[in-house]
Amino acid sequence: MIEREVKIINNAGLHTRPAATIVKLAAQYKSEFFIHKDGLNINGKSIIGVMTLAAEKGSTLKLTFDGPDEEEAANEIIAYFERGFDEL
Amino acid sequence: MINITDKNISRKENITVEFFCDHIQKQFKLKLLNDKVGMDRLITDQNLHRPGLALAGFVDLFSFNRVQIFGNTEVRYLKQLSKSEREETLNRIFQFEIPCLIFTDSNKPPTEVISLANEHKIAIFGTNFSTTKISYLISDFLDDQFAERISIHGSFVDVYGVGMLFVGKSGIGKSEVALDLVERGHRLVADDVVIFTKKGEGILMGSGTDLVKHFMELRGVGIVDVRSMFGIRAIRFQKRLELIVEMEIWNDKASYTRTGLDYKSVNISDVELPYIKLPIVPGKNLTVISEVIALNYLLKHYGYDAAKELQQNLTKRINKKNKEVNRVIDYFEHDFE
Repeated sequence: MIEREVKIINNAGLHTRPAATIVKLAAQYKSEFFIHKDGLNINGKSIIGVMTLAAEKGSTLKLTFDGPDEEEAANEIIAYFERGFDEL
Repeated sequence: MINITDKNISRKENITVEFFCDHIQKQFKLKLLNDKVGMDRLITDQNLHRPGLALAGFVDLFSFNRVQIFGNTEVRYLKQLSKSEREETLNRIFQFEIPCLIFTDSNKPPTEVISLANEHKIAIFGTNFSTTKISYLISDFLDDQFAERISIHGSFVDVYGVGMLFVGKSGIGKSEVALDLVERGHRLVADDVVIFTKKGEGILMGSGTDLVKHFMELRGVGIVDVRSMFGIRAIRFQKRLELIVEMEIWNDKASYTRTGLDYKSVNISDVELPYIKLPIVPGKNLTVISEVIALNYLLKHYGYDAAKELQQNLTKRINKKNKEVNRVIDYFEHDFE
């Protein structure tokens, strides 16, 4: 299992478009992907879940990846967070 | 198996007096008796306190961080003091970081209480309810606010009045089953993110989140709002959790219950809940099966267990001399229908 913390760095926060992209990225992998914030443990493959986080700029999320392709999944998704959802 | 870790659990550390004020005014009809002061003070304890001894001068173990209840005794005590004694007493207890005061039983706080509370920025509420009644109501509200909240990924539906939570891997079809159940007249509580809170002992109440409410994602369709699509009959806001159904792709190695005599259960926050593993195979109508699971649960709840009944019949037959298998009707007579 891989556990990593990421920060939201784009101005608009984790809104609908990046949420949809994250879910799509995660769905390509077999590994389970969870996002944790303020006591909510959200399945990262569910768009409603990811939107529930309503994560604003500056907030920190804990990501966990667990499964056969966890490393690839973690690399791709964390890179997307670090690029500020391509909105910088 | 459903996996609950610390990550799923959250708990409020405190609530502000403003939040408390909004809710108790709406729900229990409490009135604010002084200026709108001290709204940013924090309530950090779910218990209530009657400050009788603190008023009498003993403040060594004063539970000042709790909501303070002034009943008949406290008010009578304050009234029999002289004006200067009253001010001295109040100044002594108001120097503590008290969240707020509640005057019960329609008791009117003496004028010094109001003016000093304004000065020290402590809110005062009044109620017509008796001390016991309002203590019960507010304790219940605070217990709920400070209770553990457990977030679980799944679909939560009221099926024939039974709270059923569907869990399973992403994309297995939980939302689709929930939607199918709604179409058949059952009610959706929440999809995707369900928050459960312990109420009393042995009860978990679940609801959705305020942002998402009854929105749902269907793969290939997108986001739909069950409430506006199916109307008010298709939803509810809260439901007691009674059954957990895990959906999984048929697994040759897993053992699925055949008789129903050996139900598994799962423990969430010290609440024991029946746990049913439902394999998905072609041609199996999960919606109807879910209804049957709910009805079977109800039958058991009302004292009829089909598996045990058949087991008893079997035991009787085994112990009988004549073991021949007969028709239900011994003789068809002349009824050819």
